[in-house]
Amino acid sequence: MKINEIRNELLNEMYYDIDHPSGLKILIMPKAGYTSTYAIFATKYGSIDTMIETKDGSFREIPEGTAHFLEHKLFESEDLDAFERFAKTGASANAYTSFDRTGYLFSCSGNFKENLEILLDFVQNPYFTQATVEKEQGIIGQEIDMYKDIPDWEVMFNCLRNMYHNLPVRIDIAGTQESIAQITADMLYDCYNNFYNLNNMVLAVAGNTTVEEVLEVADKVLKPVEGKMAQRKIIEEPKEVKADYCEKKLSVATPQFMLGFKEEWDTPERTAKEEIAMEILLDMISGPSTDLYKRLFDANLINNNFGFEYFTGFGYSCVLFAGESNDPKTVSEEIKKEIRHFREKGFDEKVFERTKKKLYGRMIMGMNDVDGLANNMAVSYFADEDVFTDFETYKTVTVEDIRELLNKTLDENYSTLSVILPNN
Amino acid sequence: MHFENIADGVRLCAQGTDKFKTCRINISMAMPLDSGTSARAILPFILHRRCAKYPDYITLNRVLDELYGASVSAGVLKRGESQILSFNLTAIDDRFALDGDTVALECVQLLTDMIFDPLTEGESFPADIIEQEKRLLIEAIENEMNDKRRYALMRCEEIMFKDEAYSINRLGSVDEVKTLTPEEVYSAWKEVLCKATIQVTMVGSMDIAPVAEMLKNRFSSIKRDVAEINTVFVNEVNQPEYVCEEMPIKQGKLVMGFRTAMADEYDNSVPMRIAVDIFGGGTYSKLFSVVREKMSLCYYCSAAFFSSKGIVMVQSGIEDANEEKARNEILNQLSLVAKGDFSDEDFSSSIKSITDSIISNNDTPESICAWYSSQIFRESLKTPEAYVEEINEVEKSQVVEVAKTITLDTVFMLKSNGEVIDDED
Repeated sequence: MKINEIRNELLNEMYYDIDHPSGLKILIMPKAGYTSTYAIFATKYGSIDTMIETKDGSFREIPEGTAHFLEHKLFESEDLDAFERFAKTGASANAYTSFDRTGYLFSCSGNFKENLEILLDFVQNPYFTQATVEKEQGIIGQEIDMYKDIPDWEVMFNCLRNMYHNLPVRIDIAGTQESIAQITADMLYDCYNNFYNLNNMVLAVAGNTTVEEVLEVADKVLKPVEGKMAQRKIIEEPKEVKADYCEKKLSVATPQFMLGFKEEWDTPERTAKEEIAMEILLDMISGPSTDLYKRLFDANLINNNFGFEYFTGFGYSCVLFAGESNDPKTVSEEIKKEIRHFREKGFDEKVFERTKKKLYGRMIMGMNDVDGLANNMAVSYFADEDVFTDFETYKTVTVEDIRELLNKTLDENYSTLSVILPNN
Repeated sequence: MHFENIADGVRLCAQGTDKFKTCRINISMAMPLDSGTSARAILPFILHRRCAKYPDYITLNRVLDELYGASVSAGVLKRGESQILSFNLTAIDDRFALDGDTVALECVQLLTDMIFDPLTEGESFPADIIEQEKRLLIEAIENEMNDKRRYALMRCEEIMFKDEAYSINRLGSVDEVKTLTPEEVYSAWKEVLCKATIQVTMVGSMDIAPVAEMLKNRFSSIKRDVAEINTVFVNEVNQPEYVCEEMPIKQGKLVMGFRTAMADEYDNSVPMRIAVDIFGGGTYSKLFSVVREKMSLCYYCSAAFFSSKGIVMVQSGIEDANEEKARNEILNQLSLVAKGDFSDEDFSSSIKSITDSIISNNDTPESICAWYSSQIFRESLKTPEAYVEEINEVEKSQVVEVAKTITLDTVFMLKSNGEVIDDED
């Protein structure tokens, strides 16, 4: 078994990177002085995986929301379900499905080995029947309805639906009432067998633990598998947005908006450097220390809930600005104007240095919590990076990188505005 | 843990540790929930965006950027019948500063500048700033309705506590905020400095002495006259009240408010916490395992215990048509807890889960700070370990006894008015 130590001198942190004989990648960060431990067992399978590879190498469609549905159902087994097992240990267990991964997790301050065994065991042992699938349709149906009333969620998905013609990032993570009605137990087994291969997964643990403890449980519970990483189908997407504006009415007090800029790249995933450079650029354009922010704030066009995100994943990347405003169209025009201004007039290099310093501090702040660390280890592994990559990469970002990015992205011809208006 | 009295009703609590890469400071200032709530609610937001030294928020934010992205946030909480103005600061630990800066102390200096040395205009605050902050606070109050789950809970509280101070929104009311003058807000600020119960909680590796010194200096010129804060605990319930409102929404929100026999915040609160957890806490609870898992009625159905007022609030998101079914089952599950109809295993699951999560509080500066700042009214502070000991001493019979006193007071249902249109793609 190969055990690598991944270190960072500045942070005085290290973790172990292990290729377990079962095929699973295991990452362990012991934290001195911590009483709790957090573990996440994740697979590279999320809501964007709406195509499954068949034996002949072609792809077949599966219903929207299947990854999330499978996440709910995996907790069940023929006898005690996973929640009942965790109830005996006191751990707090949960799971989540995002666009590009599904994670099962627990945190505990005692009985760690027992908890880890439950986690590895239940995720490796699916049990689906038609009756339990039907029961879950009621629960998830209510989850879907709940999100329909959450304006932040609606404004985002409307924006993504406007932006993309084909990419599955435009669909709701939980699917729709109609799509989940099509899910069957057999379908869940097919997806499970395709995506829950240990070679497609990672276990990340941080906190009050040791390599020996984790490996003792892993050796006992992990079942070696043959197989390979599940393949993701690359989906064609035109450069243009599907629509440049949409609005919907919901019971909100102040209108909400999301302005998105669609990007086109030659490779499906963004590098750490591209992401960091974009974070810096966006903070320089519209962060809380900028002239644009002050202008919008003083003109009563935005409030405290204004922000941006570089939204990226396999096959998609876009820039999103979001907030609450009585005049979303003017805010949108002002943001576009500021981007043009940056492009034409350039920017002060002192601002670039200050923003970098802030980013450094914020990265340090993200290195405290065991849940954040374990999640970061898992996500970094799926991105072929390590947890410390960003710390090394941010130093290499130059003013030139920012200028180049500015010329390549944030093109208003490929932007779209999504608005939620009050319905009374 | 280091405790120090800074002035009358002002306490400093500091946990020195180099376990974390950041330091965290919370300043909590508590006043009674009363007619001055709106004028005080606007204060933390005004104060945290500027000060005499850095008179506008862009300048201040740039200073924070230079301090390695230190962040200052402001908020208002309700705890029992008190309103707590709260400031939080997070900065990197000095050992990560790249040029030998003393970031943490500078940040504390800045935070105290904001609170004690704000941007003023004579005996008032600048009128344009007050106008802008009023606009922001009004939007914040109005936008609370955007989160329907929270909104339904607030409406239930308004109805249930209509004759008690607890019904006052911690952020004040839109009508009152609209009429606030700069002079009123200024005198509210003066009043808080003089009358609030104050706790400063800090976690990190920084020296405590200079911070204590700084705070003592700040308070040396303030004549303290601490306001008394009392929360009324109502144990009597007449006929439960039912209120239903309609809105253009997709999913109905059911809230059920219960009272208990608690006489004050500490009266039987430990067994009550376990009782409420067995009723509607973790995944082993009655509400999760029956109302969600067995009956598939909802995605969430849970009970929350507010010891500071001695009440229990149950919330669930359901289809409107299932309202009665859900309501009856929730009451049925409560009666089972009150009859002691839960296994020893459920009891021990609950104790294990509560103690596990309490002990986990030791592992982030934010949770340590929150743990101690929530004890602002306690004479002596309790460590997570001491609380866990109390939990482990509770017997099943005590849980059943207190569960019997949980009595339905108010039901609030937020329903669809049938006007929601589904998306067309």
